[in-house]
Amino acid sequence: MTTGLLRVEGLTKVFGAGRTRVVAVGGVDLVTDRGEVTLVMGPSGSGKTTLLTMIGCLLRPTSGRVVIEGLDVTELPVREHPRIRRTLVGFVFQTFNLLDALSARENVEVALNIGGVKGAAATEHARRLLVDAGLEDRLDFLAHDLSAGERQRVAIARALANDPPLILADEPTANLDTPHGRDVMKLLRALTRRQHRGAVVVSHDERLRAIADRIVWLEDGVVTRVEAPEPSGAVVSVAPRGSAL
Amino acid sequence: MFPDTGEDDDRRMVPVARRNLFADKGRFAMSVGGVAFAVLLILIVVSLYRGWSGAGSIYSKLPGEVWVAQAGTIDPFHSTSLLPANRAAELLRVPGVVGVMPVYARHLAFPTRGGERVDAYAMAITAPTVRLAPDLRPYFPAPGHIVVERVLADAAGVRSGGTLRVLGRSLVVDRLLSGGNKIVQFAFLNPVDAKALLGQPGRVSYYLLRTRPGADLGTVGKAAAALVPGSEAHTSADFAGAFSRLVNSGFLSVVGVLVAIGFVVGGAVIALTTYTATVEKARDYGVLKAVGAPGSFLYRIVVWQSLMVGLAGSLLGIGASALVANLVSRWVPEFVTDLRVLDVLGVFAVAVLMSVAASFVPVRRLNRIDPAMVFRA
Repeated sequence: MTTGLLRVEGLTKVFGAGRTRVVAVGGVDLVTDRGEVTLVMGPSGSGKTTLLTMIGCLLRPTSGRVVIEGLDVTELPVREHPRIRRTLVGFVFQTFNLLDALSARENVEVALNIGGVKGAAATEHARRLLVDAGLEDRLDFLAHDLSAGERQRVAIARALANDPPLILADEPTANLDTPHGRDVMKLLRALTRRQHRGAVVVSHDERLRAIADRIVWLEDGVVTRVEAPEPSGAVVSVAPRGSAL
Repeated sequence: MFPDTGEDDDRRMVPVARRNLFADKGRFAMSVGGVAFAVLLILIVVSLYRGWSGAGSIYSKLPGEVWVAQAGTIDPFHSTSLLPANRAAELLRVPGVVGVMPVYARHLAFPTRGGERVDAYAMAITAPTVRLAPDLRPYFPAPGHIVVERVLADAAGVRSGGTLRVLGRSLVVDRLLSGGNKIVQFAFLNPVDAKALLGQPGRVSYYLLRTRPGADLGTVGKAAAALVPGSEAHTSADFAGAFSRLVNSGFLSVVGVLVAIGFVVGGAVIALTTYTATVEKARDYGVLKAVGAPGSFLYRIVVWQSLMVGLAGSLLGIGASALVANLVSRWVPEFVTDLRVLDVLGVFAVAVLMSVAASFVPVRRLNRIDPAMVFRA
């Protein structure tokens, strides 16, 4: 059943004007429900990351709508965007983007502080998230003392700190070796299935197809193909170019 | 509250500012040192100014409140005052006056160890008939004795019990007073010796009047001046303030410029440190913005960083000032400093304000950070 966690309609981003005009994203439609992973694939420069930044309220679209949990965030003034980012969206980045001066626990705790949770409650919640991510013996390690796989796990724990319904992940396995990449994939899968969240994952990594409920191919800013992998591993094309997903 | 108060309560937050600063301990130490040095310079200049301008405060310690002086006397340092010596009995009848002390005073040249001569303002106050409080005794030496300030004693190479030759007379150094500087020093003689040294028979320099508690000094002064032809009255506070006015006219603007430079240097050190830390951590701030941190959360980190540098530097600078003032006054007695609590508190308060103001530049830089930068590898 569709819960309508994320609905993207005709999302467009144009940079520049005149001869320098570039359509980075042109009229993308996309839907993700709770419990689903939508994988956005495509070559470099196809507009994947631009799409993600617009969904995450980090970039204002030229036109189109982003609706998260029934709230049209594109209608909101810019000053409201931080609130959307800390309550409805959790980010996972390719380069982890942990604060190196802080420990693993503090990296998660600071996100809780931003969300209004402070003191012992924040410390305990951060600890629990990191234990769930399998980092119980790395809580007080500084971020730069962790391995790449551990850092990405901390980043995922941070993305979950304020219990957002939607996870936006940008190339989450790009800087990881095969075992760690597989761990992160399992974690993302578990987050969506068991914790009933939705995820939009942007990646070149073919391995991520295994956890995707829907694969959206983007080229030159437009959706060229949508696939829905069958449980057996077969792929079924479900939507032609330009169709609503 | 700031985000890193370190309090273990429900409001405690991750100490991002502290961690950012301590991530580069060398830079933090240099920043704190720079601010401390600026505060040290400011406090030493201010305390030196206080020390100099307070040299005339000796007038407030003497046992009288009104000075009758020759008309046209600006202050005791720039004017010579000569009055008839036979008016003491009449002055004692002025309402409100309980004691009259003729005073002999003039600048005298004292020989130094190096063969040069140093100027001191010598005073001889006729002892009042009332019993002197112990703290006043240094100002009333016995005949053949002299009391000098430490700076003069050092310059002349004498200690307590030694002998000073003044205008051909040998005077035993009775005791040394703390204080004195390169601009003005005081020496106290007995009137018996002073009469001979001043060489003006039948004349005194001033009459120092001791008044009843609560007496109106203006009224007493007018009445007293009316009894001594060609005279006018000044209060001890006037004379005490004369030296600070002299210092103010010559040095206050210089002191003001030096203090302003000190604050600018301190503020620049804080601003530069915080700005550099902000630029270096631009990606971290971008991440915090991306995960939803409101502007106020980020501003507090920057302001708190500035405050930590400012507070640590100020406290270190205050401690260093107290130490330097103490050590230097022992080694260089003419370097008279007066480190006042109010000055210290004032400098500390300005340093705190300066820290907050210094965070303005990095805050502007913070506003320009685009959170979307976190997606760039």
